[in-house]
Amino acid sequence: MNIRIVLALALATTALLSLPAMAQKSGGTLVQITQPEPPNLAPYISTSAPIGQVTAKVFDGLLEYGFDLKPKPSLAESFEVSPDGKSITFKLRKDVKFHDGKPFTSEDVQFTIMEVLKKNHPRGIATFRDVTAVDTPDAHTAIFRLATPAPVILKALSSYESPIVPKHIYGQGDIKTHANANTPIGSGPFKFGEWRRGEFVRLDKNPNYWRAGLPYLDRLVVRFIADASTRTAALEKGEAHVAGLGAVPYNDAKKLAARPNIEVSTKGTEMISPMVELLFNTKQAPFDNPKVRQAISYAADRNFTIENVWFGFGKPAMGIISSNFQPSGLFAPGIDFTVADRIERANKLLDEAGFPRKADGTRFEFTHDITPYGEEWQRFGETIQQNLAQIGVKATLRYEDLPKWLKRTYTDYDFAVTSNFLFNLADPVLGVHRAVHSDRIRPGTVFVNGSRWSSPETDALMDKAAVEPNEAARGKLYAEFVQKVSEASPIAYILEVTYPTVINKQFKNVIDTPLGIYGNFATVHRE
Amino acid sequence: MKTFWSRFLGNPRVYLGLLWLGLLLVVAIAANVLAPTDPFAIVGKPMAAPGGEFWLGTDSLGRNVLAGLIHGSRATILIAVLATLFAVAFGTFMGAVAGYYGGLIDDVLMRFTEFFQTIPSFLFAIVLIAILSPSALNLVVAIATVSWPPIARVVRGEVLTVKSREFVQAAVVAGQGDAAILLKQVLPNTLSPLIVTGSLLIATAILAESALSFLGLGAPNVMSWGFMIGAGRSFMREAWWLVTVPGIAILLTVLAINLVGEGLNDALNPRLADL
Repeated sequence: MNIRIVLALALATTALLSLPAMAQKSGGTLVQITQPEPPNLAPYISTSAPIGQVTAKVFDGLLEYGFDLKPKPSLAESFEVSPDGKSITFKLRKDVKFHDGKPFTSEDVQFTIMEVLKKNHPRGIATFRDVTAVDTPDAHTAIFRLATPAPVILKALSSYESPIVPKHIYGQGDIKTHANANTPIGSGPFKFGEWRRGEFVRLDKNPNYWRAGLPYLDRLVVRFIADASTRTAALEKGEAHVAGLGAVPYNDAKKLAARPNIEVSTKGTEMISPMVELLFNTKQAPFDNPKVRQAISYAADRNFTIENVWFGFGKPAMGIISSNFQPSGLFAPGIDFTVADRIERANKLLDEAGFPRKADGTRFEFTHDITPYGEEWQRFGETIQQNLAQIGVKATLRYEDLPKWLKRTYTDYDFAVTSNFLFNLADPVLGVHRAVHSDRIRPGTVFVNGSRWSSPETDALMDKAAVEPNEAARGKLYAEFVQKVSEASPIAYILEVTYPTVINKQFKNVIDTPLGIYGNFATVHRE
Repeated sequence: MKTFWSRFLGNPRVYLGLLWLGLLLVVAIAANVLAPTDPFAIVGKPMAAPGGEFWLGTDSLGRNVLAGLIHGSRATILIAVLATLFAVAFGTFMGAVAGYYGGLIDDVLMRFTEFFQTIPSFLFAIVLIAILSPSALNLVVAIATVSWPPIARVVRGEVLTVKSREFVQAAVVAGQGDAAILLKQVLPNTLSPLIVTGSLLIATAILAESALSFLGLGAPNVMSWGFMIGAGRSFMREAWWLVTVPGIAILLTVLAINLVGEGLNDALNPRLADL
């Protein structure tokens, strides 16, 4: 099948963008709160959550994405996938300059993909695994040569996921300890200004940005405030204007939404798709029994958790693939664990599994580890503990710090059940396969297959879906896959978090991509 | 000369303290009768204000605050008393040995004590809990570990003064062994400052347990007052009772222990009290 996607709209889009550009008021400083402070500003070697919130404004990607996860032009004006799916040709913009004034060319794309992301980026290693070469027939054409078709690549080219870095700068010296790791130079709408440790990063308007008339803002200040209630107060008073991705406690976000000067948006997580889940150790009794795992999944009260732990910022998860993939046709629901008679079903499953209630009403006990990400996880653990008490299962909670918990979960597998927070990301190949594929059972690698469950059928379905270029055909493969995973339930999917982004109403257009606060803020303007 | 009991009980502040502590003890012992349901059970609508179906309201997950307060008294007191007992036992041992033998042993033991004293005690407790992972037993261990040095210093000082007295020398001449002299002659005469310091240490231990729980380092499966404050702190603006109720309980308990402790001090050190 010949897929030819030429983004002919590119020119029209640029024209449309420059029209309202006249009407929007330029100028102003936007203060964004990011929590915690990023360890560095090197998004090409680290996916640590706060880094991208700063650097997605400094770098550009080859593509950007709409809320339907469909690609839009950015550094690449158009792209074309060959009929066999084994090469992707990008036509690059000719008018792009990096912040140091040097022009952007196909050399930079080749260097970024082959030398930087494919070798060093935690997810890029997997995303670009099948890219054997990037050819540069001329300065404004880059051709990705692939060993097998890899549709996932076209989902992973945003400024957040795959920032294009200038070869003449990052090609000098060791990329892992590069001199510009804390003073990034890209081609994005904002230039790096200053980083005062513990206080803020200042980004200044790039006057030579290739999108004419953009960005509107003169300055972007990213502040770091360690205390949660101080962050809320800063937003409330208008000292800060934007905060997202958990920087504001969920109950505070709910409270702030009631204020006249503040808007709380739940858009902008469509390409992140965070999932709250319970991970079972499927190699250890009693959780080696799928009936027990299903029973626990039935017992978890998803609606109570959403209302009282995440304060409404979530929806019940329907399976291993997030409902955010509905527009792209990759979503399918698994077993419905929210049915009205879920407690009876859970009790029946446990009886069948050979765990009848003992004289004291309990069936068995286990230790429930808590994801050490903050207070809501503690409250989540306490809620699940009470839910399980209803079916005669006694959970004892254990809290540890992050390194200990990661080691316990992903290296030693010394756990029975743990809560977990895993992102579906831009494509199931990136965020979903890692959780259940047999080749991702890797002791010591974090956020991969910690349940150690896999099956030849689901492995085969994932392998097929990874190379299937047709979205509808991929959707069918994933529908079967989701059903099989939910029957085995190595992981109980509880909810999809819809991160609230708190926005001061004097700023418009803050969330205009499915990456939310990981967007580039070029079109953000003051009212 | 007035007796100990008449001094102690002649002090009206002591009655106030004893009254509260007595009440607390009854509540702690009868917790399962007064509040038969699990304090962690979700029993009603979250964040219901006090005065409705639940006298003291419910917390952010719909747990009964009154039940939490009743069961919390048990854990709070138990952890504090156990930690204090361990601290007193170990501190007394270290102080007594150091004071009695003097010389090199004294130097080594006191440098060891000072090593613990130089680390800010609360930070040290946080580090210990982080290493040991939070649980009721580890709370006792951590609080005891940071609380014993003052006891050791007090006991050592007392032992130093007592051991030069004539009756101790008489015991030495009479051929009693070191252990017998320490246990039968010296230590009984160091009891009064020990009782006062120890009783006040319970108050410090309650505060330490609460502060650790507040920071999320408390025992996760045990309802305590500190846990209640820690769980309620994010909701201070919408649900004042979540932190206020256990906060007042901690305040009153610490105050009561201090009143009783001071009463003991006045009664055991009559020369001071008569001045």
